[in-house]
Amino acid sequence: MDFELDADQRAWREEVRAFLREHVTPALRAELAEHDLEKRDGELAAFRRRIGEKGWFGLNWPVEHGGLGLGPVHQHLLVSEFEYWGVPGPDLTVTSVAPMIMRHGTERNKAEFLPPIARGEMVCAVGYSEPGAGTDLASLRTRAVLEGTMEDGEWVINGAKTWNSGAQRSTHEWLCVRTDPDAPKHRGISVIIVPIDHPGVTIRPLTAWSGYRTNEAFFDDVRVPATNLVGEVDRGWRYITGALDLERGALTNAGDLRRAVDDLVALADRPRRDGQVPAHDPAVRRRLAQLDADVEVATLMGFEAASLLADGVIPSVEVSTEKIFTSELRQRIAEVALDLLGPDGLLGHRTPAAPDDGRFERLYRIAPLLRFGAGTNEVLRDVIAQRGHAMPSYGR
Amino acid sequence: MKLVVTAEERDLVASLRDLFTTHCPPELVRSLRAPGADPFPEKLWASLVAAEVLALPFAEDVGGAGGTLDDLAAAYAEAGRALCPTIVLSTLHLGLAVDALGTDEQRGRVLPALCRGELRGAVALASPYDAADVRPALRAERMADGTVSVSGRLDHVLDADLAHRVLATAALRTYGEPDRLVGLLIDPRADGVALTALPTSDGDRLQQVDLDLVSVPADDVLAGPGGAGLSLERVRRAALLVRALQCVDMVGGAGAVLDRTVAHTRGREQFGRPIASFQAAQHLVADIHIAVQGARLAARSAVFWHGRGRPALRETAIAVLHAATAYRRATLDGHQLHGGMGYVVETDLHLWSERARLLGSLGGGPDVAGRWLEEANGRG
Repeated sequence: MDFELDADQRAWREEVRAFLREHVTPALRAELAEHDLEKRDGELAAFRRRIGEKGWFGLNWPVEHGGLGLGPVHQHLLVSEFEYWGVPGPDLTVTSVAPMIMRHGTERNKAEFLPPIARGEMVCAVGYSEPGAGTDLASLRTRAVLEGTMEDGEWVINGAKTWNSGAQRSTHEWLCVRTDPDAPKHRGISVIIVPIDHPGVTIRPLTAWSGYRTNEAFFDDVRVPATNLVGEVDRGWRYITGALDLERGALTNAGDLRRAVDDLVALADRPRRDGQVPAHDPAVRRRLAQLDADVEVATLMGFEAASLLADGVIPSVEVSTEKIFTSELRQRIAEVALDLLGPDGLLGHRTPAAPDDGRFERLYRIAPLLRFGAGTNEVLRDVIAQRGHAMPSYGR
Repeated sequence: MKLVVTAEERDLVASLRDLFTTHCPPELVRSLRAPGADPFPEKLWASLVAAEVLALPFAEDVGGAGGTLDDLAAAYAEAGRALCPTIVLSTLHLGLAVDALGTDEQRGRVLPALCRGELRGAVALASPYDAADVRPALRAERMADGTVSVSGRLDHVLDADLAHRVLATAALRTYGEPDRLVGLLIDPRADGVALTALPTSDGDRLQQVDLDLVSVPADDVLAGPGGAGLSLERVRRAALLVRALQCVDMVGGAGAVLDRTVAHTRGREQFGRPIASFQAAQHLVADIHIAVQGARLAARSAVFWHGRGRPALRETAIAVLHAATAYRRATLDGHQLHGGMGYVVETDLHLWSERARLLGSLGGGPDVAGRWLEEANGRG
């Protein structure tokens, strides 16, 4: 095990930092503070174009698919830096959808979808959960029926998806559908790519506790070419679980946690509204030290998962471990922040009186998401026990 | 940065696991601590010497096997798994400290004997409560014949009774000069040394060592370049390396407990099914897994950075915070998952629980390591 960045990795990180120093402008920060990711054709859109120009949306893709041919460790370093800077970088379309198309897609899938993803022009919302299928994803019921042949026919899609995050900014759905209702529930599932502006697609916003917008998406007799089916029919469960493993890997990067702890340590040195300096209390310092140590471990876990990916393994057990650890750590950070700030920690996000503009107040509301999102931690604990330690599955 | 185990390390681990499985089974560990038994593992020692485990991290010119600290970490993980008697590791600690702090003459005299298995050692480089606190506990004076006379008390010295030499630090007083920090290779059987076992439930490995005007030969005084004394920083580095290696030991032990516990839950049936099939049991196992995986990375990172010459206070602190907690969690939740079956001593689970308690405390546990982290971050 080599814990030291090599010259190439250090140079890469420096290149990413230089890019961020140049392009994370006060105007971009102001837009993100005001509109999150929702402003169209503004600073964020320009920032995304610059990332696309660098080729970084396809940085770890093979050159033949329009990528830069760099590895998962490079992607990990880049995503960590973007997170530390608090700006959006390559999203799930790049980090989990595209690799599944590369691995399992038809030649036509690859030719049709990978180039626009690499240019940042095609962005997918992932359509997994349904009102009746959440953690038990394989019981999903959105139905796709083939009319005509696989060469020139159409899929007709009916159903509903929920927690369809980013649909309002996406061009396509990476949609999980049931194509064989008679097969055992994991076997009759396929993935179809659906242009989001197609007739019959309706997006309805849902607002989360964090203020974050997610969506419901409804599909009424939506017709797409048969060739939009990814890979083989009825084999979609593998693609979904593969994409979810990659999603967990990408989501559980510790860059944002390092930033949160660095900011919290600095905040603890400043007087609260009652004049007390939280860091003067040894018990507070002990808790901050623990968070610091935990973030360091989370960082190492992230590097380990990226290293394994670089060796061609999709490390399900490792990313489950990392996802549980980082998501629960994020919640602990928010809890420590509230405890050391006292009632100052309640002051609202983006109000001038709030410490750090209410960043930790908001973190408290954001943190629950990743504990249950992208595979709830309880199921991931089952994964660790069953896949990592061969403990038998017996229902739950 | 590449955090995967290399093929070379996998081979090393496999051969070490074989070695410890064959020569260091739990029955041996249990028998060494039986009342009235000889606590020194004669046959195991011979096998480890033959396999060059004691020689592993030392250079070939002093009789060593020329391995790296990372190789040594692989050995510590396996030693921890098998609960290798601590005298083996204490001896390695003495070797590492002499290698780091001794003159070429001292290295050339001490290390070959140690590699051949003829010299057993123990160390008292730092406070047993805080491995980063290396202020010397002993006072020494240089005699006219060049020997050093040393007095004072060392507390909680692991394996001092089994060692041929204990390496301890002392403040050396010379009239008209400032005190100097020196290391002393003390023979625990010399005149003026009194050893008192501090009874613990795991075989009384901790000793109180009282020294009253004990004479140490001039050659056995580690006094740094030109005899000007050792720097606190170098002694601290040596003490923290020991602590980092102990973290790897803890992670190895925690991994063994995890495996034993899973095996128990898969074999033990209640309500007509293996208890391993209950989600509550699986979640306890998953939490141990997460703790152990995090601790493994933290501990190996600490040893890695020691091996690359960093003082590694920060990395060692993080390793202690995670390894001590993970081992305690693995053993206590391991007891829970074993139920009564693991509470009886014939199951041997308590052997790991006691090692977790010993290594988690000696040299400072998580609360102490939290203070190291503050210091490393410039906030001490």
